Amino acid sequence: MKEYKILLTGTVGAGKTTAIGCVSETSPVMTEVPNSDTAIDKERTTVGLDFGQLTLDNGDRVRLFGTPGQARFEFLWKILVRNALGVIVLMDNSRPDPLGDLSMYMQGFAEALRTLPCVIGVGRMHRHPVPTLDDYAQRLESTGRVFPILDVDVRSRADVILLIDTLLMQLEADMQGETE
Amino acid sequence: MSVRHGLSRTATAHAQREVQKLVDELNGVTAAVVATVDGFDVASTTIGDADPARMAAMASSIVAISGVVAEEARLGRHQSVMVLTDSGFAVFHSVHRRDGELVISVLARDSAVPALVAYKAAQLAKTLAEA
Repeated sequence: MKEYKILLTGTVGAGKTTAIGCVSETSPVMTEVPNSDTAIDKERTTVGLDFGQLTLDNGDRVRLFGTPGQARFEFLWKILVRNALGVIVLMDNSRPDPLGDLSMYMQGFAEALRTLPCVIGVGRMHRHPVPTLDDYAQRLESTGRVFPILDVDVRSRADVILLIDTLLMQLEADMQGETE
Repeated sequence: MSVRHGLSRTATAHAQREVQKLVDELNGVTAAVVATVDGFDVASTTIGDADPARMAAMASSIVAISGVVAEEARLGRHQSVMVLTDSGFAVFHSVHRRDGELVISVLARDSAVPALVAYKAAQLAKTLAEA
């Protein structure tokens, strides 16, 4: 049995806490507090970390850690990414500048993403189809990165599992590449 | 960006006076910040290079994490955390107001007396809870 630590990060309101709560087999640890930022239409926001656990079909265990989304918590991003085997970045396509958001997280996790696999999950694409997944790919490419980008609804357990599976596939591919 | 923290102007001015007093009156205290639970500074006084905005964000994280530890262990409502280091300490105290919560953080060098700083932070929390 393998144990994986996976980090979930991304914009405020993208659904990091929801995603962890959706798949965790144990009662998730959440540090949500009332939001006082009037620029964000949200009652509560994560200021510490989210934590959940799940067992994959093959028996491997995944420990999911979620970060706060706001840049003022960047100090926590650096702490929470330690020892992670991969990063899932959740984007909210209804925000004013989703590609700008993507760039911010790529920059915020630049050091970790030099070596870690990453998957981008884009939410609310049905109501907000632009930017497209291709636009995200182009923005990533402009920073010299190629990561899988998926249209997801993190309220769906299947979509969250898909993100995790995609990340683990990437991880295994990287490991095979290293041994060959 | 604007922040709604539930403190009236008078209460905010009171908080500002109190953090100033805390830094002025307690030997070794280098910063005192009152912040919202989601990490925005409401009132602050610092001597030295502490950034109130960063302190506010860190205080909200540490208090939130302490809160879930307290909850997990069924230890009741969170009150305070003290971080002791080899050259000083930090105290984080929750302020339980009827209309919401705030967090007080105080940084001090090792010349300060931890019990006294903790007591003063608790006193400030009490007055802010009623302000």
